Amino acid sequence: MTTWRLLDTGLRPAAQNIALNRALLEARQQNASLSTLRFLRFEPCALLGYHQSAEQELNLDYCREHGVTIQRRITGGGAIYFDTTQIGWELYLHKHELGTADMTEISRRICEAAARGISTLGVDAKFRPRNDIEVDGRKISGTGGAFDGDALMYQGTLLIEFDVEKMLRVLKIPAEKLSDKAIASARERVANLADLLDRVPPMAQVQSALANAFSEEFDVEFTPALLTSHEEALYNDALAEIDHPDWINLLARPAVDQPTLNAVRKFSGGLLRASVAFDRTQSRIKQVWFSGDVFISPSRTLADLEAALRDTLAEQLALNVKQFFATRSVDMLTLTADDFVSVLHEALAQANSEAAA
Amino acid sequence: MECNGCEFRSELYYDDQYQIWVRREEDGSLTVGMTDISQTVAGKILHVRVRRPGTLRPVGKPVATIESGKWAGPVPNVFDCVIEEANHSVLEDPNLLNIEPYEAWIARVRPSGTAEEALSVLLTGDAAQAGYCERARREDIHCERGAR
Repeated sequence: MTTWRLLDTGLRPAAQNIALNRALLEARQQNASLSTLRFLRFEPCALLGYHQSAEQELNLDYCREHGVTIQRRITGGGAIYFDTTQIGWELYLHKHELGTADMTEISRRICEAAARGISTLGVDAKFRPRNDIEVDGRKISGTGGAFDGDALMYQGTLLIEFDVEKMLRVLKIPAEKLSDKAIASARERVANLADLLDRVPPMAQVQSALANAFSEEFDVEFTPALLTSHEEALYNDALAEIDHPDWINLLARPAVDQPTLNAVRKFSGGLLRASVAFDRTQSRIKQVWFSGDVFISPSRTLADLEAALRDTLAEQLALNVKQFFATRSVDMLTLTADDFVSVLHEALAQANSEAAA
Repeated sequence: MECNGCEFRSELYYDDQYQIWVRREEDGSLTVGMTDISQTVAGKILHVRVRRPGTLRPVGKPVATIESGKWAGPVPNVFDCVIEEANHSVLEDPNLLNIEPYEAWIARVRPSGTAEEALSVLLTGDAAQAGYCERARREDIHCERGAR
């Protein structure tokens, strides 16, 4: 059986963890290292996606005042808050080991394996396209990847005892304000292992659940090992670049180019509120956040719609909402797909009026 | 011409993995873009970042980075060069790389040596076509343009 390395780099500051991402991916790309499953933990930090800007994604004052370090990942996707109540897992692989070049398929395969591993802890975890793992519609793990030639790194979080309120304060989430209701609503969207299990699972148990699942999926066995001296050298070079303001500010775009737009409408089916993080330069919806008192069954529909609308061009919005409802059976009384479109269009209309002002 | 629906242009130059195409310009600069194979493998591209004009990019240090479906990675570089210009249409609408990969160039670069030296490490014409088709077949890549 093929042997992959199991690497646990413990609790570290963000810059060290990201520098290790770079070093381990580079070493795998050079074929100088085995494929690897790495576990990692973070001191409190806000991690930007590779192409994001801190000004647009984070509440910088809050981060400064509360000792939340800001760093930039080498992987894509959105900003996250990471602290000691979560664990990170990462796979460093070669495309030849996966039998496909299709990146969407690779994400799916890894996430489905991770979900099976998490499920063995006693919850019903499932992959939610494109990049989340959820339990009953609540996100428990977010993921993203980086590639370099034929080597790739895929990483995910796993929430153990996560502080949702802190996350809301660190990230510029398009909730209209940090009301108790907004916090409660955010809590409904994420799931902690500790809450679901009524106990805090030991880290070692969580790690072996994930390792066993990946071992089965890829038909490999894991052997614990440390960094090689070659990786240490790559790591030192990477750290010099990454533990530096130039890396963190690699992309700096003004917050005004990504406004949060709000709209609320009263329908016979209830009150529906939409907040939209909108990329004005690309005319693209980054993220949508629904709230209100509408009746929808199954209740996870709103979270699914939010996920389906990520990174949607404004011109494609109506089509995407209609396709979403056309492909599933949802009971929402008199509320219709067109109602969702109308409240979202009302929010987007403000982008034009703001730009004109 | 096409292989598995992946468009190939024999007048362009390619790296040996057919990730990028390179076109020689009259002023001695080179234009770099992504191949149809690359844009298909990447899927819908949401972000492109090109290094600042004037930046020296040695072999192996990317000219640009892209992001699609939460995957981020480099547009590789196979010769030493200095960035001269980014294609602003592509920076504003990265999806153009999916729609017209051979029209939507990413960057114009000035090779550190002569254009001939830079192009000498690349493949073109029949040899490039054979390799391009071989990769599409080997990895079972079927190209689709215009994903939005």
